[in-house]
Amino acid sequence: MKFNALGFDRLLRISGVLAILGLAVEAYTLLWFHPLSFVAFALVGGLLIVVGIAVYLLSLLSFLKSSK
Amino acid sequence: MSGPVVILFVLIGLAILLIALFAFRPSVTTTPTRKILDFAALFILPSVCLAMGFQVHMERSKQTQFCISCHAMTPWGQSLYVDDLHHLAATHFQNHLVPHSQACFTCHTTYTIFGDAQAKLSGLKHIYMQYIAGPPKVIRISSPYNNRECLHCHSGMRVFEEGPVHAAMMDQFKSNSISCLSSGCHDVVHNTSGLAKEKLWRPGQP
Ligand code: HEC
Ligand code: HEC
Repeated sequence: MKFNALGFDRLLRISGVLAILGLAVEAYTLLWFHPLSFVAFALVGGLLIVVGIAVYLLSLLSFLKSSK
Repeated sequence: MSGPVVILFVLIGLAILLIALFAFRPSVTTTPTRKILDFAALFILPSVCLAMGFQVHMERSKQTQFCISCHAMTPWGQSLYVDDLHHLAATHFQNHLVPHSQACFTCHTTYTIFGDAQAKLSGLKHIYMQYIAGPPKVIRISSPYNNRECLHCHSGMRVFEEGPVHAAMMDQFKSNSISCLSSGCHDVVHNTSGLAKEKLWRPGQP
């Protein structure tokens, strides 16, 4: 898989950056009283967090493969 | 800030801290403990924050303040303060017959099993109308107001059921064949078109 070439550490860092960004967006939307704050929470924060988690799971896969 | 929101902020802070501590270290630390911490920082905490965030946003979308955060809803927000208790929304709001913090939602949700979810979905439609289609020139209720929503509170209420007019027509109310809002009955609800002429109630200044 192409992701393997990126290596475990890289994937973990990418996942970390995405999750931190997503969580920061989430925190912001919780303080922002605006009709769009839910939309920003779901479409921006939520998406970043979900992709971050997915990349983390990928990194686990790549770790398992490389340790075989 | 309410309790759950504070807890959520603590969790978000904790997640960011753990991620910053663990996700950016080289893989020398591929020990089992480290794997578990990674898992907590990058999977468990973010998932929990996401789920709680969803819950908090859902609760918040019921708040009066949220409903009137769209500019188009300003007149309806003001109508709660009309200094004339024949205005249905005003009397329910000012006398705390509906909760202050969730006034609009209490009358405008549907009291059915999935009513809450339905109200949220139509909320998304309102966001579409606010930002993409543009608010309509004349804002009307999307489907005729169902008596069920009034009866959710009023049925069983003594002052309501023992009133001779109500008692005589209870079946028609329950079957929705006569609306509570029929002209001559409770037909003044928000009356936003007449708002300019109304005096507004200022709490604490009788
Ligand atoms: C006492 C219950 C009650 C409360 C509280 C209430 N409404 Fe209503 N609202 C109604 C009813 C009943 C109608 C339907 C009026 C009709 O069909 O003639 C209505 C109609 C509307 C309409 C459609 C336009 C109109 O005036 O007919 C809008 C928009 C609206 N409400 C917004 C709000 C907002 C925003 C709030 C909170 C700030 C709110 N309502 C609070 C009962 C309520
Ligand atoms: C969340 C519960 C709730 C809902 C929903 C609700 N009401 Fe009420 N309403 C009350 C309570 C509580 C009272 C106070 C009863 C009393 O002392 O007369 C009240 C009082 C009233 C009164 C007397 C007002 C006054 O100034 O004394 C009218 C008229 C009325 N409601 C009509 C309606 C109609 C019409 C609807 C539907 C559009 C409705 N209500 C929806 C709770 C509710």
